[in-house]
Amino acid sequence: MTSLWMQAQQCGFNKEFLIMNAYLDYQSSKPVDPRVIKAMMPCFQDKFGNPSSLHKIGDEATKIVEESRQAIANFINAKKEEIIFTSGATESNNLALFGFAMRNKDKGNHIIISEIEHISILNITKQLVKLGFTISKVPVDQYGRVHLEKIKDRLTDKTILVSIGYANNEVGTIQPIAKIGTFCREKNIMFHTDAVAAEGLLELDVKRDNIDLMTLSSNDIYGPKGIGVLYIKTGIRLNPTIIGGGQERGKRSGSENIPGIVGMAKAAEIMQKEMDKEVERLLGYRNKLIKNILEKIPRSYLNGHPEERLPNNVNLRFDGIEGESLLLSLNDKQISVSTGSACSSKTLEPSHTLIALGLLHEEAHGSLELTVGRFNTNNDVEAVIKALPEVVDRLRKLSPLYE
Amino acid sequence: MKSTAYSEKVLDHFRKPRNVGTMEGEDIGKGRVGNPVCGDLMEFYIEVEDNRIKDIKFQTFGCGSAVATASMITEMAKGKTLEEALKITRKDVADELDGLPPIKMHCSNLAADALRDAIKNYQKKKGQTSETEVKEEKFSKEIAGEKEFLNKGVYHDASDISSFEGKRTLIVDRGEQSIATAIKLSKHIPRVVFLTSGKNISASEELATKLKQSNVKILYESELLEIQGIRTVEKVLIHDLNEDTKYELFVDAVILL
Repeated sequence: MTSLWMQAQQCGFNKEFLIMNAYLDYQSSKPVDPRVIKAMMPCFQDKFGNPSSLHKIGDEATKIVEESRQAIANFINAKKEEIIFTSGATESNNLALFGFAMRNKDKGNHIIISEIEHISILNITKQLVKLGFTISKVPVDQYGRVHLEKIKDRLTDKTILVSIGYANNEVGTIQPIAKIGTFCREKNIMFHTDAVAAEGLLELDVKRDNIDLMTLSSNDIYGPKGIGVLYIKTGIRLNPTIIGGGQERGKRSGSENIPGIVGMAKAAEIMQKEMDKEVERLLGYRNKLIKNILEKIPRSYLNGHPEERLPNNVNLRFDGIEGESLLLSLNDKQISVSTGSACSSKTLEPSHTLIALGLLHEEAHGSLELTVGRFNTNNDVEAVIKALPEVVDRLRKLSPLYE
Repeated sequence: MKSTAYSEKVLDHFRKPRNVGTMEGEDIGKGRVGNPVCGDLMEFYIEVEDNRIKDIKFQTFGCGSAVATASMITEMAKGKTLEEALKITRKDVADELDGLPPIKMHCSNLAADALRDAIKNYQKKKGQTSETEVKEEKFSKEIAGEKEFLNKGVYHDASDISSFEGKRTLIVDRGEQSIATAIKLSKHIPRVVFLTSGKNISASEELATKLKQSNVKILYESELLEIQGIRTVEKVLIHDLNEDTKYELFVDAVILL
């Protein structure tokens, strides 16, 4: 038992739940760190002020918000004024793409993204097309990597923005962000990156990587949901997507969600201190899962890059097996996972990321995604390694595609 | 409704599917149906005696509700006459399972279609109707993009293996030489896809077996329609002849011997 366990139990985590369930779906949702909850609590009652108020209770709220802003700035090596709080990563992506595109449309109407962007980016760009923008999608290689050459091939004199995710949330492939950022800076094209999948797993530094706009989420570093950040480099102008009383320097109106802001700041502080150790532990789990599963299960394959890969991500596929069946069978064994299978999605389309890797529909169907996190133990990893070969074997016996 | 919000009966059939397997023989009808919506696949086998379904087996590559509907319909069809079995609708199956999430209704379609396909296959067998196989024109017309991307991802010659390093490679069936090339390449690069318009590999048995045992991914009943990209090959458009659907496949190289 690790000390994390003790902490978790002290702060009200249900021990039974942690023992009974192997949760390997940290990419989908994370529990809030107990220390974060503790930091948030006073903001619901004693420190309830509105930063717009001119009295001392309002002033105290302003102080709390600005200290939190500084903590987030420290987390990504930015300036305090460059941090804008939003309601989460989806809103940050909207503000970055819509806000920037609408404000700068006189400079050009062309935007470059990749084939494997998060669904929120894809759907925002579909909307931008209706507003007269043209979008180019950069393909990725078989491991999910974007190549700078392919961005160059798509550049026009109308290109105003490049948006490439820092790392892919499904297959875990890490992009050459510094390279892309430096190139865009030279060409005077703005560079946005959705860094949600990489948060807390890779060291983020907007200066080192020449990033102009960056999306962050709170829950992905074990903070509360409903709060996120858009980093906007000094000097970049964008239109607000939410209009109101002019909070957040007019870029995002609405009374500040102070408990959320404090929670996210605390989560970032903890992450900054503990990330190195945590990543090392997660990397151990990840490598153990990959090695054992590939060894134990014939005709199983790793999706994504073998090395340039998030330390928490395992994405595999198994010949002849459908992902939702896999997910349901593991669920029966108290193991929670994810899949890129069409059958588990709202649209019945297979994962666009796996298709962009060059997989056929039937292969994308058989994918299994395991993501580990702060409260996993070696027991969870062992449970998966034990259960998975049995489940795959049973489902293969049902399958006409496996001989 | 979440796609996983299944009834207890669906989950029971998923966990303990009835009548899984295959059958062979004179009195066996075989049906195979793919789902154009989600890519599921289902196979049914029926054994018929005195115009009644005496035994029935299935295999499926599909989600939870695909497994459950197939299992359910085998129970419903067993013992019925062929005419009765043909009348089973997708609604009957869903009702019998205490309902399915709306987004999963097409799965029950699949099971009913596969059963019907098996019955028709049996009837055809007994009616002695011989189907004349239409031979496809093998070396078809020039493919869109073939000229534009020549030596920029399109190759007429694959002797220099180093030009395929790190590339997802598609090889179009142009006879035994293309099969041999696919096998050879698959020993050097991780992703080789072989595309043929046939239902089977038309080559010597030895070569066909070698291909199937290799790492090469085979696409049957498919036709290459178009090669696309910017400057170099980035993807191809494929026509699935069986389903009559078109889809994109991301590749970096195409070999047309």
